[in-house]
Amino acid sequence: MPKVDMDMTSGRIVSWHVAEGAEVTAGDPLFDIETDKAAMEVESPASGVLQHVRAAEGDDVTIGQPVGWIYAEDEDVGAVPDASRPEEGQATPSRPSEEVPRPRSPEETQKIRATPRARKLAREAGVALGDIEGSALRGRVQHADVAGVLDRVRADPVSGSLPVIRSGGDEGVPLVLIHGFASDASSWAGLLRFLPKDVPIYRMELPAHGKSPARPASSFQDLVRLVRQAFDLLDLKAAHLVGHSLGGALALALADTRPRQVSRLTLLSPAGLGPEINGKTIAGITRAKRAESLAPWLKTLVATPEIITDNYVQAAWSQRGAPGLRDAQRDLAAALFPDGTQSFDLRAALDRITVPARIIWGREDRIIPWRHALGAPGAVSLNLFERTGHLSHIERAEEVAVLIGQ
Amino acid sequence: MNVAADIEARELSYAEAIREAMDVALASDERVILMGEDIGVYGGAFQVTGDLIDTYGPDRVIDTPISELGGAGVAVGAALTGLRPIFEFQFSDFATLAMEQIVNQAAKVRYMLGGAVSVPVVMRFPAGSGTGAAAQHSQSLEAWFAHVPGLKVVQPSTPHDAKGLLLAALEDPDPVMIFEHKLLYKMRGAVPEGHYTVPIGKAEIRREGVDVSIVATSIMVHKVLEAAEMLAGEGIEAEVIDLRTVRPLDRETVLASVRKTSRLVCVYEAVKTLGIGAEISAMVAESDAFDYLDAPIVRLGGAECPIPYNPELEKAAVPQVEDIIEAVRAQVKGRL
Amino acid sequence: MADTSPDNIPFAISAYTPERLRGALRQMYLIRKFEEGAEDSYTRGLIHGTMHLSIGQEASAVGACIGLSETDKITSTHRGHGHSIAKGADVGRMFAEFFGKETGYCKGRGGSMHIADVGKGNLGANGIVGGGLPIAVGAALSAKRLETGAVTVCFFGDGANNEGAFHEALNMAAIWKLPVIFLCENNKYGMSMSTDRSTAVASIADRAVAYAMAGASVDGNDFSAVSEASEAAIARARAGEGPSLIEAVTYRWRGHSKSDRNRYRSKEEIAEWMACDPIPRMVQMLSDHGIIGAGDAARIEAEAEAEIVQGIAFAKESPAPALSDVTRDVYTKPAA
Repeated sequence: MPKVDMDMTSGRIVSWHVAEGAEVTAGDPLFDIETDKAAMEVESPASGVLQHVRAAEGDDVTIGQPVGWIYAEDEDVGAVPDASRPEEGQATPSRPSEEVPRPRSPEETQKIRATPRARKLAREAGVALGDIEGSALRGRVQHADVAGVLDRVRADPVSGSLPVIRSGGDEGVPLVLIHGFASDASSWAGLLRFLPKDVPIYRMELPAHGKSPARPASSFQDLVRLVRQAFDLLDLKAAHLVGHSLGGALALALADTRPRQVSRLTLLSPAGLGPEINGKTIAGITRAKRAESLAPWLKTLVATPEIITDNYVQAAWSQRGAPGLRDAQRDLAAALFPDGTQSFDLRAALDRITVPARIIWGREDRIIPWRHALGAPGAVSLNLFERTGHLSHIERAEEVAVLIGQ
Repeated sequence: MNVAADIEARELSYAEAIREAMDVALASDERVILMGEDIGVYGGAFQVTGDLIDTYGPDRVIDTPISELGGAGVAVGAALTGLRPIFEFQFSDFATLAMEQIVNQAAKVRYMLGGAVSVPVVMRFPAGSGTGAAAQHSQSLEAWFAHVPGLKVVQPSTPHDAKGLLLAALEDPDPVMIFEHKLLYKMRGAVPEGHYTVPIGKAEIRREGVDVSIVATSIMVHKVLEAAEMLAGEGIEAEVIDLRTVRPLDRETVLASVRKTSRLVCVYEAVKTLGIGAEISAMVAESDAFDYLDAPIVRLGGAECPIPYNPELEKAAVPQVEDIIEAVRAQVKGRL
Repeated sequence: MADTSPDNIPFAISAYTPERLRGALRQMYLIRKFEEGAEDSYTRGLIHGTMHLSIGQEASAVGACIGLSETDKITSTHRGHGHSIAKGADVGRMFAEFFGKETGYCKGRGGSMHIADVGKGNLGANGIVGGGLPIAVGAALSAKRLETGAVTVCFFGDGANNEGAFHEALNMAAIWKLPVIFLCENNKYGMSMSTDRSTAVASIADRAVAYAMAGASVDGNDFSAVSEASEAAIARARAGEGPSLIEAVTYRWRGHSKSDRNRYRSKEEIAEWMACDPIPRMVQMLSDHGIIGAGDAARIEAEAEAEIVQGIAFAKESPAPALSDVTRDVYTKPAA
């Protein structure tokens, strides 16, 4: 933690620009810090690979304490270098923690019962078979066992990153799905049934949602940074981003800044393409303290209210029951959609991007008007569904899956 | 090739389809002759040649003495010198008497002579159990022949393939051994009229599925399809591959299916040990499809005994539908 | 021993032109020199495997083939070098085959036991005792069915007359009246077992009775006697009168193969037969009837010798097969 101010004793890491394990060149932005007086960007002091990051975003670090190590290309990356630990407990790096299995020696691995397919997945994902409980006869580890662990592993916060849930197979360009406001990764379940089985699928979860209910996010830029960081950690060579509503805006922002890794973009009723948004529904959902008060607002999301069954409402309600979630979402909504208006505008980004992009919208969307799509440049495909509201990935799951697969 | 594909297919029995293939060949090529025991006025032990002798006469539908070795050798010699014989063994078991001519001569002459000749002989073998004919009239010996370079070995499972593979075998310049399951002779199915061929060396996916690949031959294809329907009721979708040709194996169809389903079951009537299932399993294990396996490979084959006479014992000696269901269920549920 | 006195003119002298007779002598010398050259090359370690030499049997090979045209067929045996030469094979390509070269008759894939020259009607030597018998019947069936007019001479040894294939083949040839001549070179021993011990009948020609065909036993070291019996059989075959069985009684001077320790026969017996060498007898007959003059035999022998030297040189210089071609010619159309 560099001293950048005369009377600075510690600095708070706001965000990392470089993921652990990624290459960095001297002079590139490495991380942002915030002191009592100012926020600033810290440039990388050297070129190499960033390893052993031990200060997560949000951590306060005393000046002079290491926040990570940069290794030269040929340098041996050993154990975490011996250095006094940061004073604040939550700054402990999470990657080498107990929950994340470390690869075992080849001898150890050979003694484990596992199918070839399970071994292949574990090898590629860098997880140790020995830590995985096998569900087949005599404890043999099957593909599903490894895949299940990978889901958990990816869902764990890694270096402060957003939870990412992995499913699907190992072939083809991976799909990265980003949900909308007041939703979570489970909202993709209906669509998943129709997506190809062999394609890897990563579902991100935004802060103040799903598995990080109380985690604050103060601005759209903040969300973009977190999404980008989580995306970088996935280390994908190519990805097809699919975003819904707020997630659509985030996907578009990500595509704008990661043109080499993002090979396709599908936006479902995306935010960011115009000022209007249904502030009443947003307020209603975030305010609801009971399933009964949530249900009418959920019904405004769709064109056919019958889709929102009692079971659906109960499931949605149970996912919103986490402590802190309501408050966090209310704060986020205030920052993103003040006075029923979208505070961010990505129309310029949509003009800039060159990857193949598609916008899908329901003509009866009562949350964001579908006419926002009309401003999209000609190269962007547009599909409009009749009798469809804001949730085309639920209301038209099969058709949307087909469009994604095209 | 497929000149008659557009003509509406009628239903024929498997035996009728074979007879029609021979009829088509006899009518179109003077070089084609039939040879075998009791194939003339008797019509063949299983009535496969039927009344072909009435049309083509005893010079082209030739009854041989009960001389399997000599008869097979005559067919080989005739094939070497310009004829295209189809030699019928009365039972595939009797091929043991003719192995010298099949294995030492037919299979090897071309190679031994540095490619100077071809041996376009077709041999037909009524095979398999289920008729109560016991140990010397019920065997499935196709793997013996498939072990010999120079031979091609096919096992049609439907009337359509029985005709198409026989006509393909006749067009093939090398010796082709056709193993016909005796219980299939009465099975009926759509068969196009006229001349068409089914490619040798190409398997057929009879049912698509995602949970397990079942590779089966001959009559077992039908048992597996029956099992697959019942398994579908339990949510297990089996992909059923009819191997059709045992040599040369259709590697790609099998491997692609295993890559898709991650599970392999081989079902064949011949004695399990050192059989076709072993070859398929080894082929998968040696290939890149190995990395896709998510359960031990399962082979269901005949019991390690001669085919017994008693009907219940006879059934117990070869895989049945329930055995297939049980094995697939255990494999898919991780109980193996 | 045939009578060669001038007032009783031998068959061959009256049947063939002087040119053909000198050609036959040349072939006999060529066979002798070929076998000696092969033996020499073997001893020098130039030849792989083993070989079966026919020194002493030259008259039966040449006498049986002199009446054949190139469209007529022969099937041969493991002791088949003489048959190949008598049917017109090129000794250079034969040596090349012995040396395992790509220019050999079988491109180095067959070796001594599988030399064939299909273009000249030689369907090939055979490593299986009795293997060629049914094949010869098949070739005769083709000739009859396709009306090519060809006859097939089936060479086999005394050992084969106790194989099942012999009996099956003779029976089928007889019931179908096929144009085939079964020519048994009875050299007294099937490897070590003498015909006295192995064969129930006194003469192998007696077997003909069982198959209702003409049978004759002749002095196999007498060119004229062999050719006389063969021409009669060929005439019967061409006339549609069916097969014949000829026993040519002869003797092999060398052991069964190169690994024979010669424990089963006496030096005296071998010396006695060597005194009946078919080549001097042929020379004597030809000079007695003015077919060759003084010095002609020596000149023909020297020419044969030179041809062998040239053949061995060709074989030595020829290229070896490429290792990558080891599986070539197993099938006419290789699997994709």
